[in-house]
Amino acid sequence: MEDLINKIKSQIELSSKAEQYLLSISTEKSIQKGTTLIREGQAVNKVFLVKSGCLRSYCTDKEGKEHTLLFAIKDWWISDYIAIHDNEYATLTVECLIDSTVIEFNAKQIDGIHSLFPEFEPFQRHNLERHVVSLQKRILNQLQLSALERYELFLKQYPDIEKHTRNYHIASFLGITQQSLSRLRVEIAKK
Amino acid sequence: MKALQLIKYGEIKDSLAFNEVEKPAVQPQDVLIQVKAAAINPIDIGIVLGNLQAMLPIALPSTLAYDVSGVVVEKGDKVDQFEIGDLVYARVPQEQMGTIAEFTAVNIIAVSKKPGNISFEEAAGLPLAGLTALQSLEYAGIKENDKVLIHAGSGGVGSFAIQYAKAKGAFVYTTTSTNNVNWVKELGADRVIDYMTEDYKAIVKDADIVFDTLGKEYSAAAFSVVKQGGKVISVAGSLDEDIAKAFGIPDYKLPEEIAKASAEKEAEYKFIFMHPNGSQLDEIKTLVEDEKIKPIVDKIYPFSESIEAFNHLASGRAKGKIVIKIA
Repeated sequence: MEDLINKIKSQIELSSKAEQYLLSISTEKSIQKGTTLIREGQAVNKVFLVKSGCLRSYCTDKEGKEHTLLFAIKDWWISDYIAIHDNEYATLTVECLIDSTVIEFNAKQIDGIHSLFPEFEPFQRHNLERHVVSLQKRILNQLQLSALERYELFLKQYPDIEKHTRNYHIASFLGITQQSLSRLRVEIAKK
Repeated sequence: MKALQLIKYGEIKDSLAFNEVEKPAVQPQDVLIQVKAAAINPIDIGIVLGNLQAMLPIALPSTLAYDVSGVVVEKGDKVDQFEIGDLVYARVPQEQMGTIAEFTAVNIIAVSKKPGNISFEEAAGLPLAGLTALQSLEYAGIKENDKVLIHAGSGGVGSFAIQYAKAKGAFVYTTTSTNNVNWVKELGADRVIDYMTEDYKAIVKDADIVFDTLGKEYSAAAFSVVKQGGKVISVAGSLDEDIAKAFGIPDYKLPEEIAKASAEKEAEYKFIFMHPNGSQLDEIKTLVEDEKIKPIVDKIYPFSESIEAFNHLASGRAKGKIVIKIA
């Protein structure tokens, strides 16, 4: 939690009351590999900030195949924001790929924190903008980059991730087949 | 709910009917699966024809088939490994037979999460054939560089066994007909023997393991290609004495031809009767997700055409699995 507090303090002036409140609505948790934090079809009331480790969010199509939306590593937020915003059941599953530490927040409390402590507003806005930027980049990359370029970018963004993930996690994140991913690896090795 | 049932033993056309039946009751150790896909296997044909009445007594009418994939929609009080909404697959235990139905209740010892990179239809075809191949080759102690002969490489069990044996680093011989040579080769077999033009007995020498998926004359003949001290594993031939005892036939004797050949080669003959096993399905899930094993589906039939699916299987011409899409 100290990391998060320091980070917030580097961006905004944080009163001790606000700090105490933030501590009161958050819980640091150690999560075992394989744990499901959010389950498709169920209500969602939590968001997670990853302190260490790696989480994955994915959806399952009608055929039963998984498609990875996001890998969340240190300092990333992860949840099913559609479910929270529209007050619907989750369409995503969030699972823990390696033993991880997360800070868990009640979604409503963290969302409403700026009404109690307006100083949080710039911090929240910054987080939200960063999230939008990363999603926008992901969509644009998907539209205009080749599979090889997307994979290289992915490796840059998540340098150690291949140790913890299965090939089909990565292939489905990039929107390619597992065979194509193997071919890309061969291409990169030849370079 | 709607279910495909065996109403009497005999020819497929006279024996099967769609019936409206009660949803199965959920025991404390069960999950109730909303069935997305079911798959059929040669044993289902044996059951329909009445050939297995002595070994597997079934009260008729009875919903058919063992292989399933689907979604957990209810769970018993003692289930904590699975949650509502989990996507799962299973070879259901004998007493819970009946997967060609809208719902099926399954003891969790037989259930695993479905591989995430394949469809419900592909997943449904894996459990029975996959567990049969895995349990047989595991019993044989398969290891790297073993020479393994797998009969009928294009069948449900054979096509899985080839890939499993390759994943374990073995050298794989397999037999198949001319039409299937190419795609069976693509599964990874090192030497595909076209039984229509070649004699496997002239090609395979000193195999560590022979996996007999055909029975009849193939069981005894396996000893002519197995090495001294090797293993012959059968899933289609005569029972061995231990398994016969387990099925309540204490005075059973192995057919003389097999007993003699087995003694001469000091090579064990073992009949494997596949048993449901959720943790081995976990292992298969990993192999599939890592693309060590690809599910091979011959054809997917809609629920309403389940009887045609049985006719197709009975024709013996399927390449890989025959699957029924339920929902």
